[in-house]
Amino acid sequence: MEISFHDEIDSLKLGDGQLFHGEGILAVTKALLQSGVSYVGGYQGAPVSHLLDVMVQARDYLDELGVHVEACTNEAAAAAMLGASISYPMRGAVTWKSIVGTNVASDALSYLSTAGVLGGALIVVGEDYGEGASIALERTHAMALKSSMWLLDPRPSLQMIVKMVEKGFELSEASNSPVIMELRIRACHLQGSFVARDNRSPAISTRTFLAGAAEFDYERLSHPPATFRQEKLKADVRLPAARKFIRDNRLNEVFEGSEQGVGIICPGGLYNNVLRALRMLGLAEDFGNARLPMLALNVVYPLVPEEITAFCAGKRAVLLLEEGMPEFIEQDIATLLRRADVQTRLHGKDLLLLTGEYTAEVIVRGLARFLDQYAPHLDTSTGERWLETVNTARARAGELLGAPLPPRPPTFCVGCPERPVFAAMKLVKRDIGEPHVSADIGCHAFATFEPFSQGNTILGYGMSLASAAGVAPMMATRPMAIMGDGGFWHNGLLSGVASNVLNHGDAVLVIMKNGYASATGTQDVVSSPLESAKALAVGQSSVHTDRSIENALRGVGVKWLRNVYTYRVAEMAKTLREAFATPEPGLKVIIAEAECQLERQRRIRPILAKLLGSGQRVVRTRFGVDDDTCSGDHSCIRLSGCPSLTVKPSADPLKVDPVAHVNNTCVGCGLCGEVAHAAILCPSFFRAEIVQNPGAWDRFIAGVRETVIGWLQPA
Amino acid sequence: MNTDALPERPITILIAALGGEGGGVLADWIIAAAASQDYPVQSTSIPGVAQRTGATTYYVELYAARIAELGGRRPVMALTPAPGYVDVMVSSELLETGRAMANGYVTPDRTALIASTHRIYTVAEKMHMGDGRFDGERIVTAAQAMAKRAILFDMQDLSNRAGTLISAVLFGALAGAGVLPLPRAACEEAIRKGGRGAEASLKGFEAGYLHASGDAGQAAAQELKRRRTVPSERVRQTFPGETHPILEEGVARMVDFQDRDYANLYLDRLDPIARLDREQGGGASGYRLTSETGRFLALWMCCEDLIRVADLKSRRSRFERVRAEVQARPHEPVHIIEYLKPGVEEAAAVLPPFLSKRLLAWTEKRGLTHKLNVGIYLKSTSVTGFLMLRLLAAMRPLRRMTSRYADEQALIERWLRVIADSGARDTGLALEIALCGRLIKGYGDTNRRAKAGFLRIMDTLAEGGAFAEDLARAAAIAKAREAALADPEGRGLENSLAAHGITPLPPQPKPIQFMRRPKPDRRAA
Repeated sequence: MEISFHDEIDSLKLGDGQLFHGEGILAVTKALLQSGVSYVGGYQGAPVSHLLDVMVQARDYLDELGVHVEACTNEAAAAAMLGASISYPMRGAVTWKSIVGTNVASDALSYLSTAGVLGGALIVVGEDYGEGASIALERTHAMALKSSMWLLDPRPSLQMIVKMVEKGFELSEASNSPVIMELRIRACHLQGSFVARDNRSPAISTRTFLAGAAEFDYERLSHPPATFRQEKLKADVRLPAARKFIRDNRLNEVFEGSEQGVGIICPGGLYNNVLRALRMLGLAEDFGNARLPMLALNVVYPLVPEEITAFCAGKRAVLLLEEGMPEFIEQDIATLLRRADVQTRLHGKDLLLLTGEYTAEVIVRGLARFLDQYAPHLDTSTGERWLETVNTARARAGELLGAPLPPRPPTFCVGCPERPVFAAMKLVKRDIGEPHVSADIGCHAFATFEPFSQGNTILGYGMSLASAAGVAPMMATRPMAIMGDGGFWHNGLLSGVASNVLNHGDAVLVIMKNGYASATGTQDVVSSPLESAKALAVGQSSVHTDRSIENALRGVGVKWLRNVYTYRVAEMAKTLREAFATPEPGLKVIIAEAECQLERQRRIRPILAKLLGSGQRVVRTRFGVDDDTCSGDHSCIRLSGCPSLTVKPSADPLKVDPVAHVNNTCVGCGLCGEVAHAAILCPSFFRAEIVQNPGAWDRFIAGVRETVIGWLQPA
Repeated sequence: MNTDALPERPITILIAALGGEGGGVLADWIIAAAASQDYPVQSTSIPGVAQRTGATTYYVELYAARIAELGGRRPVMALTPAPGYVDVMVSSELLETGRAMANGYVTPDRTALIASTHRIYTVAEKMHMGDGRFDGERIVTAAQAMAKRAILFDMQDLSNRAGTLISAVLFGALAGAGVLPLPRAACEEAIRKGGRGAEASLKGFEAGYLHASGDAGQAAAQELKRRRTVPSERVRQTFPGETHPILEEGVARMVDFQDRDYANLYLDRLDPIARLDREQGGGASGYRLTSETGRFLALWMCCEDLIRVADLKSRRSRFERVRAEVQARPHEPVHIIEYLKPGVEEAAAVLPPFLSKRLLAWTEKRGLTHKLNVGIYLKSTSVTGFLMLRLLAAMRPLRRMTSRYADEQALIERWLRVIADSGARDTGLALEIALCGRLIKGYGDTNRRAKAGFLRIMDTLAEGGAFAEDLARAAAIAKAREAALADPEGRGLENSLAAHGITPLPPQPKPIQFMRRPKPDRRAA
């Protein structure tokens, strides 16, 4: 795994009254333990990866508590895990990145919420919406609505987040429904503190077993005819129970203000930004105390009708702040007000942006319009001045900079084993033209950026091959699908490979076998190399030691299967050409094999440091480009894109263009040399082997060479 | 509690960094140092996939009043930075500083800007065939104009010297600038508590601290290009003074590449251009036509053939340069292994023209021209490897007999002729054509495609095409050249030519392969 959570594990053990310092998502983790959770599952993905990662690393401690942790192979598996809480009074929590994870999990969630739960079931989703989001922009809200799962959106303070985790379990149990807690990206990565409580060992745990299975009860099965009754239960029993619990426990917060004629309603998660916006308008101070009354909804579904009408009654107008489309909460509130015949005007999307994150700036602009209409007596000139400053600053910067700045999207790491595959592909395209490329989710999606700029579709994790099924029969050249080993095990084997084999499809599938789910932080997959193999490989790639991908492919009937070590660009290009040209029918699978460079570097760095420290001989490899012979055409960069292969001003006064240059971040993977070879680029690349702690023989031979060469060498 | 003593507002700190630079660690240090002073503090970030070398930001809010004195009250801090509301903008890279300014995060009324002036080029900038780099000077100038106070220096250089990540130097600069209520000792303690690599981090911190507190807030000086000043009598006597630096460099290059006669040929070729330049009043433009023709002529006449490459790679100065570049210590032996892949074309290039033609005709017929390249890993630091390179280099006197020499000279003559012809009408047009010499670069396939682009401009715009006046022709050539440089593998050049009614070359035909779909043995439906 990419990060070591050594210190964080210690803070998971804090007891009553001690102060927890750390990240939002780790506060959630701690809150799960404080709530006496029996089992935890999930699938990694920013911004919630750390929840599961820290739990996996804290296995020993969790064993002591009797908590079971499972790193599921996808979100559907994680959601299905909550089935344990249907029949048994034990608490369970699962986590994933949403919306994508919720989509994958939705089948199990429908059945889970239909059957209802005995023990508290909490789903912690990282709401990957807004700035920094890496997926399709949709909200989890719709999924909560359709399945009658309650949705928490806590105010972003660690204390409140922790409280809502604990209350979330109680709410789940009080209403027999699963509960979702959505945390925005920044809330997950929020560094703050809260006062901890003791962890609770669950009553049913890996240490205190259930004696046997629950008694057979058809009513707990989501199967007709029970499903008809369960649907009624959702509406008639569980929903009222949930509303009662929310009201009784005051989960939503009202902040009073002096301007009684107007009010603001917002999800808890937006509270801090709304307050900042009011502060900028001169209507609040740093400690809160806004002049406008506010209702912060820490539970955004279900709403409690009495709470909404009570807040709105007597006000001329309220402004609702809700990110994204459609405006579910606004519609919900509008219905409630109409039914109760409350005449307060409701504003929301009509005054604010329809889509995107509600930053302080967006809220200020919306609030200004709202207040203009309903509270013109308020002095909001500080806000107007501020907006003016911003507009001026942006215009001035644009003027001074003169041109749009080049974007800087993420890219493959230095020495990444996936880059060579795309370099080879770029070479192959010169011969076969542009094939249709179905891209996938994972690090390899960076190949959609420059310098590779390839890929026609991205349809979800592990979906690349499946998304080429309709293309292949319509095209003269075979389509190509890219998949990582993460995507392969998440979904790709079934949706892609098995479906293709069943339908006698014909396509080229490249599987990046780098050993881990790398994009999310190098978590293990089924085919990850074993610790013993990694120890044996030291700094070399160890992924070839596991054959589960190959066995699975052969098992479902793939005949044409090649393994290629990715750094051999020429061989990769040759294999790709063969895959596109062979008359052999059926799916052609190329397994691009080489271990994630992050993992290799993490393994070898301490070993090298130790060897160097003890005076042992170590050969360090680095690549370089000769300034003299580099003509500055940068074709090597267009084929590699490695961050360590960059440009620098030419030392030659005649050359106007910068020359290629390998900087000190080079890990010596050798790709630039291989590309220069495979593409017959130029003779400028060299490999330097630096012998550290040279032995007597090294020094002797170096001495001989230096002397002989010295006789003949021109300056 | 005395409310008057409370700070006016929280201090907002926005950190712009690239993935892997330790931006998160920097935010953690600030949090730890602030917490040690009992200040309420909060940070957020959006790492996501940007951790993989993409641009990302971290945002910190700090309220400079001790929690113990606040009673039960806590400031509500925002999770997103607001433009025009940033007190301290920290940026680990120059382009990202520009991005922060473009987004409105640096305003003259409140922002102290602490930024490194080094550049880490984006892929888009690096992959340009010419020079795609964004002008860093503009960003520095803008930074000085936009920020309330700007502390700008090369922090990467300092962090390299301290053997640490740039985050440590940034933290030092932040502390040294005195913009946060955090004493130096508290900052250093935060680093120490961070554990691993603390010693190097502290060194980096100190370097940054001293630099920022010493008010040495000046941009790093531009790297000066090394100039060899070999005085050439003939250049001094017959060419205008403004052209001397480049022409003298050119003459030296000719001698280094071939011999004195070759240098004379170089100047013979430039003579008519310089005469023309003088006649047309080139003095006003500093004789740019002569200088630029001289520049690209020198580079072209010394194009790197096998002999030249072998010579350059086996020089002492080159061995020393590699040692320095890979940071080898004096007692560490360094082996240099060259990646060479000569093939039929390279062999043909050193043969006399008649033999070369036959060889190429033969291999072309069999489709072998680009298939017989042999990958060689030549260890130039070994005695045999070195001798092989010197042997090749020793073929220099025979160079004039090679086919590559003949081909290049013919093309050079054509280019010079077009420059001279058009220069007689309009030196501006001639200059644009001279600048097309910039397209001649690369080896093998790259060189072939670059030359194709060059010839395409020569054929269509320089010598052909219907233009009412030379001004339009010159503008068209400049546009086409830029297009060819920006998009060497795409169709940028053809699109640019199409704007002048020139029929684009059809895209290279790609083989279509028809495959029989065999009837599979299906399962019963």
